[in-house]
Amino acid sequence: MTSMLASFDASSVNAALLTSALLFGIGLVGFLSRRNMIVMFLCTELMFQAAALAMIAFGRVHGNADGQTFVIFILTIAAAEAALALGLVVLLYRRRETLDSEAWSELKEC
Amino acid sequence: MDQSAPSDLLSSSTGMLALVALASAGLVLLMRPGPRSLRLAGTVLGLAGVAGLFVEVLKLASGGVGAPPIFPVIFGVTAVASAVRVVTHPRPVFAAIYFILVVVASASLFLLLEAEFMAFALIIVYAGAILVTYMFVLMLAQQSPVEGDGAANWYDRVPREAVSCVIIAFVMVATLTQVLFHPNEGERRLASAQRGEAQLEDARWNSLASLPQQLKQTVRERLQLSATEPIALVTTDPASCIGVEGDQHFVIVTVQGKDQRVDLTAADLPVNAQFLGTTLVRDFPASIEVAGVILTMALFGAVVLARKQVELGEDERRELAGLSRLSVETDGGSNR
Repeated sequence: MTSMLASFDASSVNAALLTSALLFGIGLVGFLSRRNMIVMFLCTELMFQAAALAMIAFGRVHGNADGQTFVIFILTIAAAEAALALGLVVLLYRRRETLDSEAWSELKEC
Repeated sequence: MDQSAPSDLLSSSTGMLALVALASAGLVLLMRPGPRSLRLAGTVLGLAGVAGLFVEVLKLASGGVGAPPIFPVIFGVTAVASAVRVVTHPRPVFAAIYFILVVVASASLFLLLEAEFMAFALIIVYAGAILVTYMFVLMLAQQSPVEGDGAANWYDRVPREAVSCVIIAFVMVATLTQVLFHPNEGERRLASAQRGEAQLEDARWNSLASLPQQLKQTVRERLQLSATEPIALVTTDPASCIGVEGDQHFVIVTVQGKDQRVDLTAADLPVNAQFLGTTLVRDFPASIEVAGVILTMALFGAVVLARKQVELGEDERRELAGLSRLSVETDGGSNR
């Protein structure tokens, strides 16, 4: 039992959880404050990353592969989201010739 | 229990709160366009805050004894610093490249957490696939800078409401750190980690038991049999074909009509990818189907959006150019 305990690395888990919290906060700041739509979506990916990191860290704590399995699904959602969101960004860019999200603050066409 | 515990608890919490506030102040300075000295001050403040947080958190993990391990700190600080660059860099292409650095750093953290398969899958899917998509969209949609002197577009340089956004994130991160790194939480997490380690061993033996081909392969290698030699696993326990005797795991096989006991060691356990794969298909079969449906729908959605943009974009261009939509000389598919 002691050898098993020694293999559990609490400092890695804590560092990963802290990194995850900070990444989520930074991604939130970026999503709210950047005007460029592509960078806004990049910041959502940052938040996905934070969630994945927390999943893996807690999965490590609880000693099963469920956390890692969920990260596979997070990757799936992130890939689907990237394809759709970027398609939308290109569509919006074609309409207004700008990536500025403020151009769409009226939420209507022209 | 201990008389000094509440005050310790309070000081650790407020200390962490102060460090998060310090890092947030640094982030505010970095967000807004300003003179170089201000940005330098922001970098110093932010790094000091983040480094202080890491030291505090690792002290919590080790109970204050021994030197803090170096690798989690390196990867964590790299990830956070590059994430800040993603948010603050005025050029989206560089923001995307810094995002790759975030991905690589957190994949390294995955490695430290013994999630090897996910670490490399993350690099392949994120840095390989998703970031390439971002790069293509940046190339498709990026405007050339108006000034022509290499300056970025104004909407990339000037953030929207930087202070309020950082305050929102500060509240959120402060709450998260208070909850995640509450001193009592450390003990609770260690306790569940102790349970978790035992469960992890059981779970990995179980996943080996559900991989009969691999088990037979191991037995063949151990008994030095040829690959064509027929062997059968004898199942004594209906739940698992692997028996346990004290700490020793073993399997009973029938070779050439004789029953034989083969002891298994920890080296025979499935590796991370096998373990993850068996968990995935054994415990979450429906979720895989749902993931497939989501990806298919995303594919359809992307195709629909991409088709739409060509036609509508053309109309829009005509309007921007002051042409009526009904002008006929370049009508139809000649532009496509």
